[in-house]
Amino acid sequence: MSAALPLTATQGNPTRGRRARHGLNWITAGLYGSAFLALFLPLLVAFLWSVVDPATGWFAPDIVPRSVSLHHWQQALGDPSIIRSIVLSLLISTVVTALTGILALPTAFALAKIPFRWKRAVEIFILAPLIVPGIIIGIGVGTLFLRLGLAYTVIGVILVQTIGTLPFMIRILAATFEGIPDDLLHAARTLGATPAKLARHILIPLAWPGFIAGGLLSFIRSFEEFDKTFIVGAPIVQTITVKLWSYLGGKLIIFPNAAVLTFILIMPMVIIFFLAERFLREDVLAAGMGKL
Amino acid sequence: MRRQKPRNLPLLLAPGGGYLLIFFGIPLALAILGSFGIFTIGAPTRATLDHYAELFGTAAIRDSIYFSVYLSVAQTLLCLIVSLPLAVMLDQKFHGRAFFRALYKVPLVVPGIVAAFIVMTLFDRGGIAQRLLAPVGLVLPKLVRDEWGLGIIIAMAWKNVPLMTLIVGGSIAAIPRDILAVARTLGANPLRIFFLMQIPLALPGITAATLLVFIDSMGAFAIPNLLGPIYPLTLSVQMYESAFGENKWALTQAMGTVLSLVSIAVLLSYYAITRRARLAYGGAGR
Repeated sequence: MSAALPLTATQGNPTRGRRARHGLNWITAGLYGSAFLALFLPLLVAFLWSVVDPATGWFAPDIVPRSVSLHHWQQALGDPSIIRSIVLSLLISTVVTALTGILALPTAFALAKIPFRWKRAVEIFILAPLIVPGIIIGIGVGTLFLRLGLAYTVIGVILVQTIGTLPFMIRILAATFEGIPDDLLHAARTLGATPAKLARHILIPLAWPGFIAGGLLSFIRSFEEFDKTFIVGAPIVQTITVKLWSYLGGKLIIFPNAAVLTFILIMPMVIIFFLAERFLREDVLAAGMGKL
Repeated sequence: MRRQKPRNLPLLLAPGGGYLLIFFGIPLALAILGSFGIFTIGAPTRATLDHYAELFGTAAIRDSIYFSVYLSVAQTLLCLIVSLPLAVMLDQKFHGRAFFRALYKVPLVVPGIVAAFIVMTLFDRGGIAQRLLAPVGLVLPKLVRDEWGLGIIIAMAWKNVPLMTLIVGGSIAAIPRDILAVARTLGANPLRIFFLMQIPLALPGITAATLLVFIDSMGAFAIPNLLGPIYPLTLSVQMYESAFGENKWALTQAMGTVLSLVSIAVLLSYYAITRRARLAYGGAGR
């Protein structure tokens, strides 16, 4: 397709460099302008909703609220049910992250270091939960959990969320383990290291960036998970996302309360995300956040 | 570890793989069996295709399939229109590049339910966008709970643009700089380079991203649940209604099976595409 290119006339080049540099400033302006419109403004509006003064409200045609107050924040942080949601979400996400790391370690090692038949099939199967929609997993697991008595329990929610975090933790760890030289593992085994010692003294110390990256992303995914948690746990297990849904999905939509919860939900996520960014290669991030 | 005793292998695969087998594989298999009337909740086992007949015979479900496909296609196209130029621009050098490359990914960590809330505050009746446009005399069409699902499309695309840009950006960055420099020297303008070189050469990444974004929106639940019209529902919301609203488990499982088969087909093609791309680019080992 590039065969056609040489036929086009060459243009005079002296001004090209200068123009190019100008063009690059336009890129900066354009990109940051779009980010302002698409990211900053929407989040600003959401934030303004969280500080609306209940005495005056925020009605059309006002572009900004007439007066602001921390009333809704104080109310939310003084509401035991919201505090319980926050604590519960933190607890669930912590346990899910730990469980994910423990379960992923041996399997990732096998995928990275041991050649075996059907490896591709195993890899595809492990990726499948990232592609199959959460609603299907939720209903499938939910019906199973109903029979097992795990529906509407915190344990049930932890188990169902781990299905979503395991695949990419395994992927990230396998990618990290692939970087550990085989010789090192051979030497350790030859010198008599048991598999447990191998894990503790070689695999975990050398692969800790993978654990950090995978752990942070597992935590994020668990903290913001909604579909599966909603079906297996709601309305008994009220994580922050389930609580937020109850403000938005009901007959009465309460914007200020939803706005406060939104920020309680996404502020830690954004902070963790910027931390994780520093540990992560782009492709690993794609694998973690998306559904690679 | 060529001489690894194969005895260890099942033991090592068991924690992660076994977990997914028990909590993901088995429920999915049970759901597929259930859709054929085998081990269905609250009904005697009897192999049947009735539930599929009901699925395709019910107008509401048929419409929900069309609606889901329409939303996913529209949303994916919108993502492509935004992401392809964005990925190319991010590949250039510009001021504040490092920060922007982190900034644009923020929607990745924003839950769909928050994206839905943001669309409500902006585009619902009396939303900020309407208030801003009212003085100019512009009136926006209905964008939340509208029958065209425009709010759903906006919210899903907002969340998926960074994912698509991330994947496409990887493919764009893998194009050797020399080729682009040669084209520029020979007088190709950026537009020609974009359409005739960057897009074709990044096609594996673009295809993979398209598949992922498409299947993600086919299964999305929170966003269409909050922003969608009363009729038609999307397939995922319809599933939820059939299961918990009407207790029609076998029918739900039939819908789930159809949706799963689509996603597994997507997964397999995705795997084939990325594998081929990795062999093509990664093989060089540069």
